[in-house]
Amino acid sequence: MNITINGTLQDLGDAGTLGQLLKCLDINPERVAVMVNDRIIPRAERDGSVLKEGDRVEILTFMGGG
Amino acid sequence: MPGEIPAFLDPSQWLPVALNASPADVRRALNSSQPAEADFAALLSNSAGDLLEELALRAQELTRRHFGRTLSLYIPLYLSDYCSGGCVYCGFAADRKQTRHKLEPDEMVAELDAIKAMGFSEVLLLTGERTPHADLDFLVRAVETAAQRFAAVTVEAFPMQAEDYRRLAQAGAVGVTIYQETYEPVQYENMHRWGPKRDYANRVETPARVLEGGMRTVGLGALLGLSDPLFDSLSLYRHAMHLRRRFWQAGVSISFPRVCAQEGGYNPPFPVDDSMLARIIFAFRICMPDVPLVLSTRETPKFRDGMAGVGINKMSIASRTTVGGYKAPVESPDGQFHVNDDRDVESFCAMLKGKGLEPVFKNWDKVYRD
Amino acid sequence: MNDGLKLNLGGREFDSRLIMGTGKFASTEIMIDAIRASGTQLVTVALRRFNRERPSDDLLGPLLKLGVTLVPNTSGARNSSEAVRAAMLGRELSGSPFVKVEIHPNPHHLMPDPIETYEACRELAKHGFIVLPYMPADPVLAKRLEDVGCAAVMPLGSAIGTGHGLSTAEMVRLIIADSGIPVIVDAGLRAPSEAAAAMEMGCSAVLVNSAIAAAGHPAEMAAAFAMAVKTGLAARRAGLMSRSDHAVATSPLTSFLAGA
Repeated sequence: MNITINGTLQDLGDAGTLGQLLKCLDINPERVAVMVNDRIIPRAERDGSVLKEGDRVEILTFMGGG
Repeated sequence: MPGEIPAFLDPSQWLPVALNASPADVRRALNSSQPAEADFAALLSNSAGDLLEELALRAQELTRRHFGRTLSLYIPLYLSDYCSGGCVYCGFAADRKQTRHKLEPDEMVAELDAIKAMGFSEVLLLTGERTPHADLDFLVRAVETAAQRFAAVTVEAFPMQAEDYRRLAQAGAVGVTIYQETYEPVQYENMHRWGPKRDYANRVETPARVLEGGMRTVGLGALLGLSDPLFDSLSLYRHAMHLRRRFWQAGVSISFPRVCAQEGGYNPPFPVDDSMLARIIFAFRICMPDVPLVLSTRETPKFRDGMAGVGINKMSIASRTTVGGYKAPVESPDGQFHVNDDRDVESFCAMLKGKGLEPVFKNWDKVYRD
Repeated sequence: MNDGLKLNLGGREFDSRLIMGTGKFASTEIMIDAIRASGTQLVTVALRRFNRERPSDDLLGPLLKLGVTLVPNTSGARNSSEAVRAAMLGRELSGSPFVKVEIHPNPHHLMPDPIETYEACRELAKHGFIVLPYMPADPVLAKRLEDVGCAAVMPLGSAIGTGHGLSTAEMVRLIIADSGIPVIVDAGLRAPSEAAAAMEMGCSAVLVNSAIAAAGHPAEMAAAFAMAVKTGLAARRAGLMSRSDHAVATSPLTSFLAGA
């Protein structure tokens, strides 16, 4: 299954949930916010959010800013 | 049961400053580029009274900066002297038995035309407390008639609801003047013996309702002499500041009516002499430099001449305080509505020119307004 | 105006009147040291894509450990809908109800867009955010933003990063005079003395980033700013003696009152 993650197209093999994706990428779920196709997926809903072919996922965190 | 002064008006914490300020406090207030409430209180003090010339200089400087070397002029038209009120200090209270009058539509037109011929562009329409003779509909018709002739129509009548003020604004009024008389609740109740005017809370909330109704300006004032002038001046200052913050698109102006002794009638418990009145006006000018400060013809020529351009930037002239009175001149009444400066427009303007002040009749036009 | 002992933003109270930005620091460690030295309780942060190659760039962990309240900004947004989305992401990520609305379409001078900022603030206030708009020093815009529910207004002192100090002082004074909410000068402050001046003028707080991050010793500079902010506030509370304007009397203005 092809999914765009942070602007880069990636082949992720089997479909899964957003929660599984973060685990697979070794990302601490408490440290990121996630959008799928421009919609914010709250932490509580990630395990129930099934990814589909062509989804655009944005994984965001904080950086320094004024 | 007297009302309670609301917290936003209560001047209690500043009274000690007004009573005890030192010359240093006064100088600090005079030199501040952004005077605050403590400075206003200091400028009311006896120490300020001893430095009156310095207050006057600063007041003149600020008046010039914000209003130029001009004086705005307007004229009052009393539409009716029917009154349901019971104000102790007023000769038109409902229990005074003189014949009452009100302007019929054709008389109103005649009076307004006479005023317009005198060169005025701003007229203040007045009535007493609400009566069936002079109610809101009467006022709306008067405003409509006046708005056809004058660039600026303002009203001084009885407290109403915001929707009523909206009607007046839509009829063409740009401002409403409503004096609190006194901010001190016990004295307020003593002074207003019966009727709706007795309601302190309602009165104090009225200026906000004026602005909620979309009126461009609200005119405030306390009838100096009814209570401690320090108390009333501080409350008035707080009232003006509160309204400016809450209604940032609206304007506030301040007048300085003084209680006059009435023949066989009311003598004010806290008489305010010319020096004290000057001090109060200077304090307002210094601390609220961009607010119009207004003096009426109740004051003497000597006082008005002295204050023109020195704190005061707006005055009524050639006033008649009887109902109508412009089409066919009538004698000025005694007491609270007595006219002490009865100079005509030309003489008054000549005085202003002599002082280096340009008389201004019209400040703006409403041609392109909604 | 915010004249209480504590800084009150949207009902939350803070002792420190110095808000810090976290950008432009040489390293996360230096930034954390500076924040600690400043005593600040509010810091702004920006959003970016998570970079798996550099997990040590995690800011959230160290900041949460400091116990400061996060104020996510919407930097990068070019219009109100982007800013609203950024704010939502920021809230999701931080759990903080605060947002600094920062919309600067021009990448050179970074001046805030007044129209997009107003629209974004109006929307975000409805969604329960504690909205702190970064804005041009315009007194009318400040009241507009207050009307739509902002918790404070943050007029710029001068353009971001220029260090031109309080070039907007006159406008900031007007904003302070009429404001019913705290006024926080943001951007352009270069020296602690300027922060003190802002507080003396009547600001409720200041936001400083570049001046601290770019200093030779950021932690020391942060501490200096903190002292300056406290000093300025104390001076205002103590009742500053103003500069004296000397007026020259020609003839007495009050002679008409003599013997009245």
